Amino acid sequence: MPNPIKPDCSVVTTCAYCGVGCNFKAETHEGRIVRMIPWKDGKANHGHSCIKGRFAFDYYNHPDRIRKPMIRDSIDEVWHEVTWEQAFEFAARRFRRIQTRYGRRAIGAVSSSRCTNEEIFLVQKLARAVFGNNNIDNCARICHSPTQFGLSATVGWGAASQHFDSILQADVIMVVGANPTEGHPVFGSLLKRRVRQGARLIVIDPRQTETVRSPHVAADVHLALRPGTNVAVLDSIAHVVVREKLYNEEFVRARCEWEEFEHWAELVGSDRYAPELIGPQAGLDPEDIRHAARLYASGPNSAIYYGLGVTEHSQGSTGVMCLGNLSLACGMLGREGVGVNPLRGQGNVQGGSCLGSWPHVFSGYRFVTDDEVRGSFEAEWGVTLDAEPGLRLPNMFDAALTGHFRGMFIMGEDPVQSDPNQDHTIAAMREMECVVVQDLFLNETAKYAHVFLPGSSSLEKDGTFTGAERRVNRVRKVVEPLAGLQDWEIVVKLMNAMGYPAHYDHAGQILDEIARLSPAYKGLSFELLDRVGSAQWPVDENAPEGTEVLHRERFPRANGRGTFMLTEYVPTRERATDQHPLLLTTGRILSQYNVGTQTRRTANSRWHSEDVLEVSAEDAAARGIKDGDVVWLSSRFGATQLRARLSRRVNPGTVYTTFHHAETRVNVVTSDLSDWATNCPEYKVTAVEVSLVKPAGVEAAGRGEARHEPAVSTGEPVSGREEAHA
Amino acid sequence: MNALHEPLPPGPVNDPVLSMERLLGMANQIGDFFAPYPPARRAEGIRNHLRTYWDPRMREALLAYIDGGGSGLAEHVLQGALLLRDSEPKKGYYGPPKA
Repeated sequence: MPNPIKPDCSVVTTCAYCGVGCNFKAETHEGRIVRMIPWKDGKANHGHSCIKGRFAFDYYNHPDRIRKPMIRDSIDEVWHEVTWEQAFEFAARRFRRIQTRYGRRAIGAVSSSRCTNEEIFLVQKLARAVFGNNNIDNCARICHSPTQFGLSATVGWGAASQHFDSILQADVIMVVGANPTEGHPVFGSLLKRRVRQGARLIVIDPRQTETVRSPHVAADVHLALRPGTNVAVLDSIAHVVVREKLYNEEFVRARCEWEEFEHWAELVGSDRYAPELIGPQAGLDPEDIRHAARLYASGPNSAIYYGLGVTEHSQGSTGVMCLGNLSLACGMLGREGVGVNPLRGQGNVQGGSCLGSWPHVFSGYRFVTDDEVRGSFEAEWGVTLDAEPGLRLPNMFDAALTGHFRGMFIMGEDPVQSDPNQDHTIAAMREMECVVVQDLFLNETAKYAHVFLPGSSSLEKDGTFTGAERRVNRVRKVVEPLAGLQDWEIVVKLMNAMGYPAHYDHAGQILDEIARLSPAYKGLSFELLDRVGSAQWPVDENAPEGTEVLHRERFPRANGRGTFMLTEYVPTRERATDQHPLLLTTGRILSQYNVGTQTRRTANSRWHSEDVLEVSAEDAAARGIKDGDVVWLSSRFGATQLRARLSRRVNPGTVYTTFHHAETRVNVVTSDLSDWATNCPEYKVTAVEVSLVKPAGVEAAGRGEARHEPAVSTGEPVSGREEAHA
Repeated sequence: MNALHEPLPPGPVNDPVLSMERLLGMANQIGDFFAPYPPARRAEGIRNHLRTYWDPRMREALLAYIDGGGSGLAEHVLQGALLLRDSEPKKGYYGPPKA
């Protein structure tokens, strides 16, 4: 049937799903979006798109959208609709009351990578300048905080060294703990294109992902390691590089701190990292480790792409350092076709990292403890700022349970669903006296909120996103905000209600302020982006239209040299036991996005209507489980039910699931362990047991039926609007 | 219908900002990372990390615990934490612990 709707207007904007940052031409008819056309001049996507960006836009107009602000005295009451002014006044009064009673550090804020750079920057300003503390964090805490830590430590900047197109000059591609064909599909296609042209492919992932094998593409080496052994395996690869002298001595001597290299070479070169010792621990053939090391070191251009399979571990930051060390040792930085590149899960994770939504650094990754840097913000903002680091998101919850933390502003984030050890998060939420949630929908966290501020989707506001390749791209308002205000306007009004006189005529003025306060964003403005389309930071007098490849002549460290960190393998405390003999790891699927707030409200759910548990045939047989059976998935933290799928993608001993559906409540099961440096949760390793819910022969609940009772332990039963849409 | 939740009592709370168990676990994990460095750098790495990443109340709680004996903390974590009491201010930094 021909499309009967002829668009009457169109706007070029940036997709809000993954970190690729595709440009789309959003077409509207009488103020409603009718079509998203991949934009041919988009520098990240060159006219390509995936099924999320292209088709999953209808969530913005879903009946579940909240269109009026709401408040309530306690979380046991029903919501009351109020005016914007009443909501701001209520929130401001409660926040100030908490600070009067318990001190200025008893409240904090969390922003989201679904929000624009301008909004993220404003939320940190809210915390620092208005709350008067540094209790500000963002959702990168639970995904890529180790990237910032690990790459800053070795190569100087916590960001991708390359632009996406650089991969077309790579001879060897190493993908670690990422599945770009599902998670970052447009980049995944580029990767596959390069492999079809002859590039060699190394994949390090416990699961046989689509990236490992798909039509016309197969990895030369797949290291299907046991979850939790990343650092051991990466150190073992480094061992081979050192012992077989495959490193690039000329590069290391010219560009790096040679003494630190020698310390590192001594550590990884020691016998304990020999593939013959590490292989059996990690479930790998030692020869495969050697093969991967030789391939990577031989290049001539080798590029690393990695994801949350590296970061979401108790040694997540160490794993990132391993990648930084390896690329420096082999001289794989500073030109096209090489590099170390985090694949960012959400549209603006890179921006969230850049723009100071962290308790310890301002925008540009500069410490709040640095008097000079802090002074520049104090001069611009006209207030004295706290010189001490604040609480990280998980520590805010910890401190709520000791009574030190009582109020939280949460923008575009759903920690109750997305953070680990859900019962702990819920217990902490219940202790708070004022939780303000700004979101599109009544999410799981809103069940514990006192104020709900109806936010705007990325289709309803102006600003910028920074993609995984450091590309700053314009987000343009396609339709009017459904609740009347753009997200940045809501934050400004809350600041005003709390007595701080912020004012901006439009979002571009916030980017101007960012540029004044952040060296890498110095040259950015709406005018520049409207003229050149998009630009990769750093954008400054040396690179007025941006920088495609970092580290060409020097590394952004005080002495200009890259350096090496000592990456000893420390096994996680999370171990398989007799009670929980399997290891659970998690991931994403092409058609859905993260906790599903958006994609579950679109027709994309037809492709993925529920989360399933992938189990090897061996583990299933040992437990009497057949394909399609409903099973209990239990850990020492809790238990939930989902449907089992027998799969060759996972090795015996490992099970895998996605986390797109709230009802699955996978995070009831995940552990409270976290990265040593950043507290990024260890989502990728949880010791579990899987058992049949119904005895063999009894037919499991059919697809499409109401969900099985979801979870045990202390959490709230799933109820309310989210379930109504399940 | 849920029973009304009783919040924690109002007023200043004198307990540590995070449970000591949690703080000790975090501190020892940091110690594990810096363990391969020579002793002086090991302690300095721990100091820099605690100073630049930990909320001051977390640091104070850790130091108070050390004053009470510090049992359960690795020796080099204890030494690194005590460097926080040196009066000479040092700038935070990324990268290997400075010698």
